[in-house]
Amino acid sequence: MTLEVLPPLARRRAQRLGLIWEERPGLLGWLTTVDHKRIGLLYFFTTLVFFGAGGIEALLIRTQLAGPNGTVLSPEAFNQAMTMHGVTMIFLFVIPMTVGAFGNYLLPLMLGARDLAFPRLNALSYWLFLGSGLFLYVGVLLGKAPDCGWFCYAPLNTKEYDPGLNADFYALGLIFNGLSTTAGALNFIVTIFKLRAPGMSFNRMPLFVFAMLAVSLSLIFALPPLTTNLVFLELQRNVGFHFFDVAHGGDALLWQHLFWLFGHPEVYIIILPAMGIATSIIPTFARRKMVAFPLVALAELLVAFIGFGVWGHHMFATGLPVGALIFFAAASMMVVIPSAIQIFAWLFTVNLGRPDFRAPLLFIGGFIALFVIGGLSGIMFAAIPFDQATTDTYFVVAHFHFIIFGAAVFPILGGMYYWFPKVTGRMYHERWAQLSFWVTFLGTLLTFFPMHVVGLLGMTRRVYTYHHGFGWDAYNLSETVGAFVLAAGLILIFANLLWSRFRGVPSGPDPFYGGTLEWATTSPPPPYNFPVIPTVSSPYPNWDRADREEDLRRLEQGVLALEHDHETLATTVRDGYADVVLHMPSESHWPIVVALSLTVVFVMLLTTHFVVAGIFVGLAGLVLGAWHVREPAAE
Amino acid sequence: MSGGSVRPATLLAGQNVLHPHSPAEHSITVLWWVMLGGAWIGLTLVAVLLVLGWVRRNRDALPFGGGERAATRLVVGLGIVTPILVLTGLFLWSDIFVIRSTAAPARGSTALTVQVTGHQWFWEIRYPGMKAVTANELHIPVDTRVNVVGTTADVIHSLWVPELNRKIDLIPGRTNSVLLYADRVGTYPGQCAEFCGLQHAHMELLVVAEPRARFEQWLHGESGSARPGTGAEAQRGQQLFLTEGCADCHQIRGTSAQGQVGPDLTHVASRTTLAGATIPNDRTDLTAWLRDPQRAKPGNKMPELPLSSRDIAALVSYLEELK
Amino acid sequence: MNAVPYTHRVAKPNGWWGMIVFVATEATLFGTLIGSYYDLRFKTPEWPPPGVPDPKVLLPLILLAVLVSTSVPVQLASSFARARRVGAARLALLLALALQCGYLALQIHLYVDDLHRFTPQGSAYGSIYFTLVGAHHAHVFVGILLEAWLLLRLLGGVTTYRGVGLQATAVYWHAVNVLAIAVTIVQLSPSL
Ligand code: HEA
Ligand code: HEA
Ligand code: HEC
Ligand code: CUA
Ligand SMILES: [Cu+2]
Repeated sequence: MTLEVLPPLARRRAQRLGLIWEERPGLLGWLTTVDHKRIGLLYFFTTLVFFGAGGIEALLIRTQLAGPNGTVLSPEAFNQAMTMHGVTMIFLFVIPMTVGAFGNYLLPLMLGARDLAFPRLNALSYWLFLGSGLFLYVGVLLGKAPDCGWFCYAPLNTKEYDPGLNADFYALGLIFNGLSTTAGALNFIVTIFKLRAPGMSFNRMPLFVFAMLAVSLSLIFALPPLTTNLVFLELQRNVGFHFFDVAHGGDALLWQHLFWLFGHPEVYIIILPAMGIATSIIPTFARRKMVAFPLVALAELLVAFIGFGVWGHHMFATGLPVGALIFFAAASMMVVIPSAIQIFAWLFTVNLGRPDFRAPLLFIGGFIALFVIGGLSGIMFAAIPFDQATTDTYFVVAHFHFIIFGAAVFPILGGMYYWFPKVTGRMYHERWAQLSFWVTFLGTLLTFFPMHVVGLLGMTRRVYTYHHGFGWDAYNLSETVGAFVLAAGLILIFANLLWSRFRGVPSGPDPFYGGTLEWATTSPPPPYNFPVIPTVSSPYPNWDRADREEDLRRLEQGVLALEHDHETLATTVRDGYADVVLHMPSESHWPIVVALSLTVVFVMLLTTHFVVAGIFVGLAGLVLGAWHVREPAAE
Repeated sequence: MSGGSVRPATLLAGQNVLHPHSPAEHSITVLWWVMLGGAWIGLTLVAVLLVLGWVRRNRDALPFGGGERAATRLVVGLGIVTPILVLTGLFLWSDIFVIRSTAAPARGSTALTVQVTGHQWFWEIRYPGMKAVTANELHIPVDTRVNVVGTTADVIHSLWVPELNRKIDLIPGRTNSVLLYADRVGTYPGQCAEFCGLQHAHMELLVVAEPRARFEQWLHGESGSARPGTGAEAQRGQQLFLTEGCADCHQIRGTSAQGQVGPDLTHVASRTTLAGATIPNDRTDLTAWLRDPQRAKPGNKMPELPLSSRDIAALVSYLEELK
Repeated sequence: MNAVPYTHRVAKPNGWWGMIVFVATEATLFGTLIGSYYDLRFKTPEWPPPGVPDPKVLLPLILLAVLVSTSVPVQLASSFARARRVGAARLALLLALALQCGYLALQIHLYVDDLHRFTPQGSAYGSIYFTLVGAHHAHVFVGILLEAWLLLRLLGGVTTYRGVGLQATAVYWHAVNVLAIAVTIVQLSPSL
């Protein structure tokens, strides 16, 4: 509903809400914002820059490996590029892009809320994320970037074998990053539990929200093992503790257990938002509700859950006892089932509906194909003898790029097109969007498919160069050419979005007739999201026209418009009954100050000035105190 | 050129996982082909459904499209029941049966045991019970089960000879073992598969499978001490070796050189390659190596020593005699 | 529709849920620390290693009992605040705070005492021992800070906000106490 068409009384309420929720204009407004949409955009653009950095690193790697005896990168430079590529893509691109950007922007809109449960904590997550990303990239600028691979095994990561600051940048940067992600996940969980529109009981939650819930829960339980591991590493490197060195009773494999106890759930954390995006796009363009809705919702939660029991499948060659191997193999096979449920639910939704293959759905089609290829090679690793042969080869690199680039990034790209009109109020260019899909899709196949073959031909991963004579040369060349085609496809996408931002035709609030609540408000949404808190009676509330018309009437009467103060509505956890009106905090400069002092803490830890670091922890504590001196009226 | 090296021509054999030369690797290959077949069937099914959707684009919904029950049944059948059946089969076959063929051999069940120790970035190879110590070239008798017991002197490495068997990680404080068996005489290249630092790429290995008699002869030779240098040039080389710091890092059995940092050089001339199978072992490459070990393998742990060309020539003459 | 008064609400407030999630991630952190303890233990033949004394049992157990008992006054403080009984809430909080400060002081004394006998740099046992126990003490310290802050705020009376703060802090303390039991058992396990 656009303001202009509203009846006068309703319009007056909406205008009043606008005045209450409007934030400071200009740069200062962006620095102190607590609006989930603006924070989402900050996340979006920041992660895009990191995506560019990770992509440039990938292209450097591919250029070096285009032919045998490449000389573009020195071994040091290659190892840093390889490690930073993995670390950047995972910690600074995919997770902050899906959770930070998409989750932030969309969750409150889909839930019918005016913001996340803890808006200032949300701002803090962003600034911490930015701090951790810059921290890691300072390492790159100093030529001291992490160089031990993204899983940085002990004892290669200890002072003895990695004497520079490289591994310290890694450990501290990831602890720092983890703080941000944990805060974000906590915020999402409480928001999903408490801020749903009245009537949105658990079983009426959109599937995207289920996916974000699964992701957030996974993050809450997956990050602590990583943090513990990294703290152990820093204590060993800088204070002389012994967790990983055998000579003093330590255990090198302890690192691997803790890392993969985090690392495997992590890869599902990467794929789940993509599944959530797919389950948003498919029903819209198939013009039909999701087939087997409860099964799909359950499957999203199950993927996250089973993912905690399979970490050993990254350690099949380490000589674990056979019993353990078999357990992890069986669990790895079980984890296929929730994925298979979703694959077929998506396919049948498309086939039983009236599919309109516009760009977003094309990307989802590509995603399904690439996910299945990557998933099928993943399941091959669960056959232990085959994994013991192919682990640490390019076959693994092929598996995870199909599933990470093909399956996690394609829906992100499709989602960018899909929600572009919502965020900007303009349409992207459809023809060019379809072309960009085909270029990216073919580039992906050309880049990553030959990796299966070179892997089977014995090419191990993380080699900065290789000899002629193994039959690898042509495949590697194809991978390199593919990577540049891929880059061209991505540039097409971003050029399209950039052009459309200024020249696209106005889209109106709901150009695709989407089913979820974000389409029920204007594009771009006003700062208060909804002039009246919507009520919900199905998982596709925007298709329930009667409910939406009822919203309009309530706005006129002022029921649940909450136009007197900075407020939103909390509901009960299971059934979504109205519970209490919450007073929401408004813009604050404290989050960025806390993030700044924590950045100093990490820099001081890096340079082993522990006392100064301690002082700044204290300062951060004081700032937190100051932050809470002024109490909001409720909670 | 950094890392500038051409693979020695004698080594054109591949590292093809699907080119098995042992029963263990053969079973892995069979496993692969069966899984590939299954994967194609699955992928085809999905592709057909995708293309079907594409063909039907913008057509009306199917008449039974609203039938939620039927659709759910399809999802349950294809998404739950079928995977359970297929995966149970795969699990039982691969993880209960095939896994035995790649399992570590029981201690003492093989005629020969070889000890491999990973170093950044070369392989130290010992034959327990014999004095033989060598590097980067692992000789085994053909058609013989050999137990390779591996550990590491520093970080984690992984021993992998693709055409002979699976890989095993070499982990500090632990030993792992793997069965090596070659059904044909030949040279099988292998690689360190676990990232182990700067020169992980150039930590290669050759497994040489020889007829039993040749192998015994080789092992006997390797177990002996080095011959003293003959001729003035080589003798000068030996002298230089002992005085110029080489002996701090390298061992030459039969001399006072007892260093343990680098590879044992007692019979270095009997090897076909140098520096982790990075460069061929001939006069030119050896000379280049001694002149600047950091050129072919930047970052490796052998420093560049201030030696004149004459000294290097003498050292090379000496080393070339160490058959 | 105006704010439902704090005392009448049935559903738990957001702050309470936030603390529950936070506590879940903290518990996982301790889970991995304890898991690491046993990973190291089971690959070391002698635990603690030669030259390192077995942990003392009696005093830590008594201290643990004291710490766990503070769950009662903390919970009472939260309930009093809900009932708008400011004085009683302050008193309960003060009692808890006093006991916990005493606990922490004695524990730090023990910690330093241990450091004189063996060090985290001496062996993996020392490393995990001091890390695990230190992490626990740090949590007690944070809890004390939270309570001190709330006590300060309570001097100005009870508000909904402060009430929720107390409710969340109570959850935090119950969790710290449960973790204290786990950590103490692990810490003492070589002597049990
Ligand atoms: C988004 C990330 C993501 C996802 C979703 C997955 C999904 C899966 N992964 Fe993957 N994986 C990674 C990212 C991911 N992986 C990464 C990054 C690594 C490497 C880390 C590193 O070493 O750097 C890795 C490595 C990795 C390994 C270790 C390889 C090695 O190093 O030796 C294994 C071993 O079991 C594995 C297995 C699986 C399995 C079984 C799935 C399953 O979830 C897949 C399930 C999906 C399907 C199977 C397809 C759809 C189903 C059907 C079409 C139904 C019909 C199918 C059958 C009946 C079989 N993965
Ligand atoms: C999300 C995860 C992700 C993504 C998206 C990618 C994307 C790509 N990866 Fe990556 N990769 C990993 C995760 C990922 N990778 C991980 C975890 C590893 C393991 C690391 C390790 O072993 O430790 C790895 C390793 C890895 C290797 C193996 C290195 C080795 O073992 O030695 C290779 C080799 O070809 C490679 C290639 C590529 C390529 C060509 C892309 C391409 O798809 C990239 C294309 C992207 C671009 C070209 C960027 C374009 C962006 C823009 C145009 C936006 C610009 C906008 C602004 C600047 C505002 N990757
Ligand atoms: C500080 C230690 C050190 C010193 C001094 C040293 N080396 Fe080395 N050397 C090594 C290491 C380590 C390697 C293995 C390099 C690799 O492959 O990564 C090596 C490899 C070699 C090789 C190749 C062996 C093979 O089988 O691959 C030769 C030959 C050699 N050194 C000769 C010499 C000579 C001659 C000198 C003295 C002039 C010398 N080294 C001094 C450490 C040293
Ligand atoms: Cu040794 Cu890689
Ligand atoms: Cu995994």
